[in-house]
Amino acid sequence: MGVVVKKVELGWLDRTYVWPVLKGMGITFNHFIKQLFTPTSKRYTIQYPDMKKEMPTGYRGLHELKRFEDGAIKCVACFMCAEACPARCISIEAEEFSDLNFTQGFEEKRPKVFKIDMLRCIYCGMCEEACPKDAIWLRNDYEVAAYDRLSMQFGKWDLMNTYAEADGKARISEDPTPSVPRRVLAM
Amino acid sequence: MDTLASLLHTSPALAWMVVKVVIVFSAVMLLASVWTWVERRGSAMIQDRIGPNRAALFGRIRIIGLAQLLADGIKFFFKEDLEPHDVNKRLFWLAPFLAFVPAMLGFAVIPFGRDFVSGGHVYHLSVLDPGNGMGMLYPMAIGGLAVYGVLVAAWSSNNKWAILGGMRASAAMVSYEIGMSLAVVSIFMTTGGYDPAQIIAAQGSQPWHWNVVPQFLGFIVFFTCVFAETNRLPFDFAEGESEIVAGFNTEYGSMKFSLLALAEYAHMMTASALVVTLFFGGWQVPFVAHPGVMLSVLSFLVKLLFFAWVFVWIRWTLPRFRYDQMMHLGWKAMLPLSMVNLVVHAWLMSHGR
Repeated sequence: MGVVVKKVELGWLDRTYVWPVLKGMGITFNHFIKQLFTPTSKRYTIQYPDMKKEMPTGYRGLHELKRFEDGAIKCVACFMCAEACPARCISIEAEEFSDLNFTQGFEEKRPKVFKIDMLRCIYCGMCEEACPKDAIWLRNDYEVAAYDRLSMQFGKWDLMNTYAEADGKARISEDPTPSVPRRVLAM
Repeated sequence: MDTLASLLHTSPALAWMVVKVVIVFSAVMLLASVWTWVERRGSAMIQDRIGPNRAALFGRIRIIGLAQLLADGIKFFFKEDLEPHDVNKRLFWLAPFLAFVPAMLGFAVIPFGRDFVSGGHVYHLSVLDPGNGMGMLYPMAIGGLAVYGVLVAAWSSNNKWAILGGMRASAAMVSYEIGMSLAVVSIFMTTGGYDPAQIIAAQGSQPWHWNVVPQFLGFIVFFTCVFAETNRLPFDFAEGESEIVAGFNTEYGSMKFSLLALAEYAHMMTASALVVTLFFGGWQVPFVAHPGVMLSVLSFLVKLLFFAWVFVWIRWTLPRFRYDQMMHLGWKAMLPLSMVNLVVHAWLMSHGR
């Protein structure tokens, strides 16, 4: 299929090269003036440490482990996320706990250790997709950096508190129910 | 000004010379280094960016990024001064100075303000007093020397990309020099002299009597050639990121690189001073027949800075020419145009206009 290329015929004014240069300079000067009188907040550049980009909903940033109102973790340690994770960065150790309550229904399994290696995580969101309980969310925080490797290992309590300040929730550092298995008590 | 002049009465002419040299040298140095910042901020604004605005004095006083000059200077001073294998050591060290010194020297004959009389003496505001016998020929000749800076830097680096950049830059400089000189010759003719003081005096204070109006063609030619002469875009063939790495200064680092870069900006200042002197009435203030000394210096500075800004402005408007296009423009357009300009003005003069 042939394409007809239209050859641009330049007028004598354009062929002098002086007039087009002046036109171009007009364009650049317009940009210069416009940018000069645009307030910093409305410029295209986001001056990062001072200003931060508002991430759209659905952005896959730092994870959060969701909790119930009483502070109990939603995760039931089903290992679906660890299975789905292509980077193999999630490691879970499950434990049983005794007291059943209404918010948690009748599940009696929860993670004792829930660790995400943020250096390995590729923020693909597969864990979020795989989770049957909507217990793990990838949210809008993108400032995941640290000065040493160890602080990039996020444990269970780190992950439960990642968005505590942003959501105005209290920071928690212990489960509302003890982790003693009933079986042990019965014995 | 009077107190300065009264101080001068007691001191010999040498002191006045030293003062002038210090003023001119430091002013050009300062302007050239400030212009590196203007270039970066200006280009950023033209491209809807922001540019370097974060460098701050004591980590606090930001002054719209002007501290970037200091930061760059300090950084360049403390960088390791690498010298690649197999460079021609003497020339490698000499080249930045060969580039920088002619750029500064060109300023010597340019009058940057009105003469003033004090205590029976006439004081000229130019490093070399008018009537020195060199006049405008001196900056032209010195401008020709600038080729050596680029070429020596390129040659001594023992680098293919560098020598390619240096060769084509020197070719551009040499071929554009002819058109430029012919454009200046027609000014010498209409003025009847080649002393910058004479040229400025002949232009008067009415803007429509300035050489730019009767010799507009000459102005276009001269201004275009000056871009090639200072190695600025659209004719900066010494460089070329996409073709020859960084061009003539590929092998340079630390303060030597900084000198080469500063030389370009010093050249810009000298070139815009030439444009102002030749075509825009030098220190003449529009519509003021007898301006004060300070006013004339201010007028010169404003014009100088405007043309220095035009250099930046053009750079971020036009893309780089292709080499053959530039040679075409230089030999087949600029040279005939300046010849036409010369002949037309010669004809006009011979018919008493």
